[in-house]
Amino acid sequence: MLECMEITKTYGKKTAVDQISLQFRPGKIYAMLGPNGSGKTTLMKMAVGLVKPNSGAFYYEGNPINRESRKKIAYMSTEPYFYTWMTVKDVGQYYADFFEDFSPEKYASLIQRMELSMDLRVKSLSSGMMAKLKIAVTMARQAKVYLLDEPLNGIDLLARDVIMRSVVEAAAPDVTLIISSHLVDELEQLVDAAVFIKNSHLIEVCEVEELRISRGQSVADRYREIYGHGGTERC
Amino acid sequence: MLKLIKYEFRKTFHSKLIILAFTALMELSFLAGVFLDWDKGLKIGITGLLLCATIGISYIGIESLMVFHRDLNTKQSYMLFLTPQNSYQILGAKVLENGISILLAGAFFAALAAIDWTIALLRIGGLQELLNLLKQLSITWRTEISLSPSTLLMAFFSALASWLMTVVTGYFAIVLSATILAGKKFSGLVSFVFFLLLLWASGMLLDRIPAQGDLYFWLLILGSLVIDAVMYVISCWIMERKLSV
Repeated sequence: MLECMEITKTYGKKTAVDQISLQFRPGKIYAMLGPNGSGKTTLMKMAVGLVKPNSGAFYYEGNPINRESRKKIAYMSTEPYFYTWMTVKDVGQYYADFFEDFSPEKYASLIQRMELSMDLRVKSLSSGMMAKLKIAVTMARQAKVYLLDEPLNGIDLLARDVIMRSVVEAAAPDVTLIISSHLVDELEQLVDAAVFIKNSHLIEVCEVEELRISRGQSVADRYREIYGHGGTERC
Repeated sequence: MLKLIKYEFRKTFHSKLIILAFTALMELSFLAGVFLDWDKGLKIGITGLLLCATIGISYIGIESLMVFHRDLNTKQSYMLFLTPQNSYQILGAKVLENGISILLAGAFFAALAAIDWTIALLRIGGLQELLNLLKQLSITWRTEISLSPSTLLMAFFSALASWLMTVVTGYFAIVLSATILAGKKFSGLVSFVFFLLLLWASGMLLDRIPAQGDLYFWLLILGSLVIDAVMYVISCWIMERKLSV
């Protein structure tokens, strides 16, 4: 299980994440929702140790995040981060060199499915192609936790279907998937729970099914309620 | 860690190839000068090879600092810090790759100089003739230096060790700027001043080595390596606790 306790991160005077405690359980797909600047990306980066919290901590299987946990947690950043001298093949080789759970066969198949080719240079990729490459290399790992930050950004409708399919294929009883996105409607069909973050604070974690049954709301309805003009939830 | 070293080498592969290509060009000019009695070619070759050696070795260190700065301050940092490696391994790979590159480049240029010197001696027909020729070409050579080949070699390698110490001090300054000074005003300037102060302090420390001759150079190399180790450990300790990329 991936969890954080009372985690806080500040950048100068700005608080990006404020005292958030959360648990992400295996076998579930989570949508992490919130407008730009709400703290989703910082929270994800703290989960893989890219960003160090000011207080509180992230834990995986009861242990603080460290190099061992990075063997089990796959993170896909929203920004491009590959070395520009690399080709698509080099990116796969790099992951194969560092991650024991990386499957070159699955990578090759995902690259084919994404309509990319191994000899393409990273610096020549369009933003859509780059997004496909990021998702392919991340999902080619057999990780226990996947953190996907805005995987559908800059992606056309057909490519979105391919990406969503890759994500669904990774779902398993011992796997946790956490996806941040603005495309609430598209995520709703996929996720088990939604995490709402607003102004650096955790507003609510709700089970999608329970939301439908007990409150008669969709995730999109709840999103509008929280973030819409005069949103009911204040923090 | 070997894999990290491999990728550190890949990052600087092209510039090393360019240095090598220039060196090969200058070597050709030197050989043409020697074998075709082409004075201008000989002069260009010798000057070019000296420049390739000094600028090449310096650039290997400077480029390593530029790469480390990029690795901490751009999104490419994720390539390193998402891998299951800790800061000691990540920076260790950089220090080792750079140390090995500087040493190999130094050894390569020293060997090339020895070979070229021998070729020139054999072809031109004696040391005095060679020195006369160099003098004619306006390349003055100080012949009064009375150092044994081993001392000369030790001096050369202690210079390489001092250069590596400068680079490792640079790593430390970059770590400070990306961690403790991150987001603060003039962080780049402050870390640069800190870099200069540390270099000055290290130099003062090494100047106090109470020995002469070969022993002095041995202790100089050892002292530089100890300072490297201390800077490395402190840098990694800070990175582990404070670095957000």
